[in-house]
Amino acid sequence: MTQEDYLQILRNYSGPPVRIMEVCGTHTHEIFRLGIRSLLPENMELVSGPGCPVCVTPPGYIDSAVVLALQHHAVIATFGDLIRVPGSHGSLADARRQGAELKTVYSPLDAVALAQSNPDKQVVFLAVGFETTTPSACLAVKKAQAAGLDNFSILCANKTMPEAYKALKGSADAFLYPGHVHAIIGTGLCQELYRQGVSGVVAGFTADALIMAMAVIAENLESGKVFFENCYPKVVKAEGNPAAQKLLADMMEPCDCTWRGLGVIPGSGLQLRQEFARFDAVHKFGLTPDDGQVNSACRCGEILRGDCKPCDCPLFGKVCTPLHPVGACMVSGEGACSAFYQYNC
Amino acid sequence: MENKVITLAHGAGGRQTSELIGGIFKKYFANKDFTPDDAAVLQIAADKIAVSTDGFVVSPWRFPGGNIGKLSICGTVNDIACMGAVPKYLTCAFVIEEGFPIADLEEIASAMAATAAEAGVHIVAGDTKVVGKGQVDQIFITTAGVGEMLSNVHTSGTLAAVGDAVIVSGDIGRHGCTILLERNEFGIEANVNSDCAPLGKTIVEVLQQYPDIHVIRDATRGGVGTVLYEICDQSQVGIELDAAAVPVAEPVQGVCSMLGLDPLYLACEGRLVIFAPGAEADGIVEILRRLPGSQDAAIIGQVTADSGKVLVKHPFGGKTMLPQPTGELLPRIC
Repeated sequence: MTQEDYLQILRNYSGPPVRIMEVCGTHTHEIFRLGIRSLLPENMELVSGPGCPVCVTPPGYIDSAVVLALQHHAVIATFGDLIRVPGSHGSLADARRQGAELKTVYSPLDAVALAQSNPDKQVVFLAVGFETTTPSACLAVKKAQAAGLDNFSILCANKTMPEAYKALKGSADAFLYPGHVHAIIGTGLCQELYRQGVSGVVAGFTADALIMAMAVIAENLESGKVFFENCYPKVVKAEGNPAAQKLLADMMEPCDCTWRGLGVIPGSGLQLRQEFARFDAVHKFGLTPDDGQVNSACRCGEILRGDCKPCDCPLFGKVCTPLHPVGACMVSGEGACSAFYQYNC
Repeated sequence: MENKVITLAHGAGGRQTSELIGGIFKKYFANKDFTPDDAAVLQIAADKIAVSTDGFVVSPWRFPGGNIGKLSICGTVNDIACMGAVPKYLTCAFVIEEGFPIADLEEIASAMAATAAEAGVHIVAGDTKVVGKGQVDQIFITTAGVGEMLSNVHTSGTLAAVGDAVIVSGDIGRHGCTILLERNEFGIEANVNSDCAPLGKTIVEVLQQYPDIHVIRDATRGGVGTVLYEICDQSQVGIELDAAAVPVAEPVQGVCSMLGLDPLYLACEGRLVIFAPGAEADGIVEILRRLPGSQDAAIIGQVTADSGKVLVKHPFGGKTMLPQPTGELLPRIC
């Protein structure tokens, strides 16, 4: 089948009105950037789910990072997009103005190197991410352990998708499953959801991959049956990546976890196992994290569940803009609010 | 020269200042208009002149494809030329950090001289200040310039019209990508050179054959994307961009893909964005492709009546807005 064949399927869709949830932030961004929405028939709606790790990080996590920076004088090593995410009383960028030392890194291993070159300072890496990025945080801890570092730790907000999918059941007629996550965890979960009546396809991230995935969804929804297809078989294998899975299982254990907008989802988080507790910043610094407070007018929660669109939020584009974000979804380039704002939807 | 590095005495106006001027600036900038007096007095052959000034703080000051000296000539020459003027004279002012190696200053002055010669301009006056360690980062340069306006030409950002073709004079994003890689913050290696180049001769050549061109801009920081939105705003028009037609060199595209950047928003320092009547577009591209440095010139879109909107059309039919510029991706890019 050629790309034109897939486009033809989309143009000819004659099924009922349907909602498709793209669960992954990278999908959200690429779908906007490539104008994929403009190719869909009117009765096929794409909604953005909770798959941007920054967007689902609750303000209490930022509050903990601010406490580490300002009260414990730790150097905070973080991916850049967390710096402007609002906490209950301000962001890490605000804390920097009060003297917090922040260092943008592009890999958790950079944070280990930072700790090695600053032996007189405590370095805390903000470990935020799904199954795709958590293995590299584990590797960083392993490296710090091997190097005998006692000035490196991570603040875990690592999350896993399986429980989130289950919590989102019924939010859409089909899921566009994220190729990166399933390259690690495999497709067993998708099969399990399929047996429970949840439809979806695993998709890649190029224009070709997204058009094909949308056409497969359209064809199946038209026929009215429950379906699961792996449209990214070159990268996503049924068994996933056993080495990464083993690393995660060896070093981390499931925990209950708060998702901004979705609340506590039991078993949906990851924390370091007891034997690595000295690398866990919460344990090491005796933090008592809570969920923090969100601006009550911000509708990020409903947006992350696909219950409303960014433009339905009274703050969107007025009080809340990429320069002055109220919610995390406006900060991250992969957030639904940021994408809606940038692409003028 | 006695000292191997710049000292505060080099900026104090005494013997060492004279030595610096004689040993470096006079040596490289020598021309019949270069003045030892307080101001240069110059002959101008046109009714109107174009005047512009620009400051340069790029970090690192040396990069593949150029250095801050070359950049300081190109930046001002290109701004003048984009108005339809032939660049003639430049002045330059240096602010140098104490301790800056004199050999490096010589490298910068040499690049300025070579670029001025290439651009056909004379450096006619200058100033040197030296400040204490840490008060500037190595070296900052400001240039100002004058050009003689071509008589039958009128270009302005307000003149883009519905139906105009949008042309770029070469592949985009090179300078921004080069500086980003040179800072080595991402651990990525790629073979990319800055596009930094004086464009006056290219512009004159094109304008002599196509004097009806509406807008010429050089895309600098903010890249081509920022120019497109500026022109939409100034001319109250829209633009439909053909995503597949935008020339981007493979390594630049690769770096952008890895870092999630859009080449449309990476800085250029030697690329023109031209808005011209649609019927003239092919001819303009043909001339550009024959000229040095613009062999990858291409028509990348057209002007529409949909005021303020830059729409990107992908080859498979997807249409989306080009995100608005959100400010500089990298500080100290030029």
